[in-house]
Amino acid sequence: MAKLTIGVFSSLVGSLSLDFAVKLSEAAIKKGHSVDFWLSGNATMLSKKGQRSFKDYSALQRSIQDLLTTGKFQITACEACAEARGFHKEDTLEGCKRHSMDWYLASCFSAERVLHIGGD
Amino acid sequence: MKLGVLVSDFRNVDDTLSRLRADKLGVILVSNGVYHAAATQNGKKSSILEKSPHLYVLSEDLQSRGFSEKEIDNRVKSITYSDLVDLIFTEYEKIIWI
Amino acid sequence: MATTKLAFIVKSLPYKTEASRLALTHAIASQTVEIYLEDGDLVEPLLAFVGDGVLNCLRNQKAMQHYGITSLEQHLKNALLLDLRVLICKEDVERFGLSEDALIMDAEDIGGETRASIAPFNEIMKEMDSSDHLLFF
Repeated sequence: MAKLTIGVFSSLVGSLSLDFAVKLSEAAIKKGHSVDFWLSGNATMLSKKGQRSFKDYSALQRSIQDLLTTGKFQITACEACAEARGFHKEDTLEGCKRHSMDWYLASCFSAERVLHIGGD
Repeated sequence: MKLGVLVSDFRNVDDTLSRLRADKLGVILVSNGVYHAAATQNGKKSSILEKSPHLYVLSEDLQSRGFSEKEIDNRVKSITYSDLVDLIFTEYEKIIWI
Repeated sequence: MATTKLAFIVKSLPYKTEASRLALTHAIASQTVEIYLEDGDLVEPLLAFVGDGVLNCLRNQKAMQHYGITSLEQHLKNALLLDLRVLICKEDVERFGLSEDALIMDAEDIGGETRASIAPFNEIMKEMDSSDHLLFF
């Protein structure tokens, strides 16, 4: 099948654009594709562990963990964007990588499709 | 090129969309973009609906906002996330989010 | 050996959000992407400013002085220093009544040789057509 690279810069909880990207990833993987998921800017919040789930707030940590178990999903956060926001390596969700921005470009290099979702 | 444009906003998208040129231009209404398919203002429908014959609206985002498929303009096809994946991989070579 | 062309299309205004800054820093990251690729493989970026995005290219931005952050002006100069191709939409420059003097067209003051180009939107559209992937900011 094919690879979809999604770059998301939108805030966790503050915008449903991240939720859209996660749901799209789920749908793509169900169809046999693989997904590279790049978090930059405010979206790096999603890389932080310890997110609590409340009914009034969108909660994506469990969805991300489930996607990781498929083996077809990679999630990487921009290290600089995360550190600028006080998210350090030890705060990172298990399975989520951290790299510099060139990782996203490399992912785009080998992707059949790229969807870049700007910040909200 | 075959370009799929995911329209995520109700405001401030017309300028960008109007300038894009493609052999096949798909307008895929998601997030707040779904209002283009369902809302009217002063009795008028959104001008976005004139931009392309290939119009789609994400049903989950439509329903989240209180609209049903019966209320959308009949030029617009309601799709699921699964359908969107198919559009991305088989109908359009490049996709953008505005 | 393969080359993937990525078009970074900037339509956002600077500073209120970081969208345009991230466009520039990501485009500049093409300089180091080779560490992830096979020998000879390349990512070729194009930066194009359209719509309100042309206002990222104004000279005399004092963001460092007032907010302690690198200005979009400086990021753009860095991009030119690294020989990235930069296009600024002619119709939007005219719409805002701007002359070339008001815009960052080069990075000569920091040793850069590459100049930005003011280009009609049709030309930018052709570049999008020939790119492998489009990233709108």
